[in-house]
Amino acid sequence: MALASAATKSPKTPASRSQEILAGFKLNWMNLRDADTGKIWWQGEDDMSASGTEHKAHVPKQLLKCKRISREINFSSAEQMENFRLEQRILFKDKLIEEWYFEFGFVIPNSTNTWQSLIEAASESQMLPSSVLSGNTVIETRFFDADLLVNTSKVRLFYV
Amino acid sequence: MGLLAFLRKLKSTPDRDIRMLLLGLDNAGKTTMLKKLATEDVTHVTPTQGFNIKSVQSAGFKLNIWDIGGQRKIRPYWKNYFENTDVLIYVIDSADRHRFEETSGELGELLLEDKLGGVPILVFANKQDLTHAAPAHEIAEGLQLHTIRDRAWQIQPCCATSGEGVRDGLDWVLKNLPVRK
Repeated sequence: MALASAATKSPKTPASRSQEILAGFKLNWMNLRDADTGKIWWQGEDDMSASGTEHKAHVPKQLLKCKRISREINFSSAEQMENFRLEQRILFKDKLIEEWYFEFGFVIPNSTNTWQSLIEAASESQMLPSSVLSGNTVIETRFFDADLLVNTSKVRLFYV
Repeated sequence: MGLLAFLRKLKSTPDRDIRMLLLGLDNAGKTTMLKKLATEDVTHVTPTQGFNIKSVQSAGFKLNIWDIGGQRKIRPYWKNYFENTDVLIYVIDSADRHRFEETSGELGELLLEDKLGGVPILVFANKQDLTHAAPAHEIAEGLQLHTIRDRAWQIQPCCATSGEGVRDGLDWVLKNLPVRK
């Protein structure tokens, strides 16, 4: 039996490799902070990986008063990846208002990793009021290994 | 000092992304230092099983700080993160005397890496708050830092949990960032 199974073992096809990467990937949590104080205003932990679902984040509207904010994500990968990257987009009423690219490059097998981006918020005069932004703002994060789409996460922000 | 404030001081090199690489043995305090730089709570830091990256954007340019886990099984992967590094920050637990030889060996190998050739190095002699911590000059001697000829180097005593000395180290980094290649 052992011999037979060894004989039939074939090199991995790109499709099965993709399957392994996808199966081994998990988006563990995301959060939003005031970058000046480090205070967390929102953290989402409810199976952020579940693709197709749009997550809802209820964020205190004081977050909009922060001069500097941070967005942080934590993910795990069972598989090694060589060209891992993400694209993060902020959409307002489905219109792109901000875009981020980040290249991680190599991902260690069986690793858990975080990426945090700290940015300066728009000045208050340029900022739309929370009542307008609330429910209309989406953070979309897409993960790729080279051209393979590994995961998509969408979080819709509600300011309360 | 927040990281964004730090970045604003970098106005002399505005047209590029800066990559800092944070290495050192496990439990040296790399992640704590990184979190402290961003004024975050450091009471629940756990061993890094991969990397932690902070990307800071201000005035149109970016600073990326890469903190890679220091456990023995992760160290073979460090080399995947060397490329395009502008500054290497090496963190040492000054109180873990049993592992001075081990950390010295790892640092020695980093200094021989082609991809890190000429990259300025800042050594943080961390955990100076512990009573049995070795003073920075003793660590510098043990690491034979004075024999380094091919790059700028500095050793900075610090305490990542309180933040003491961290800013002085970063000021050195600011002054020693290589000019654009």
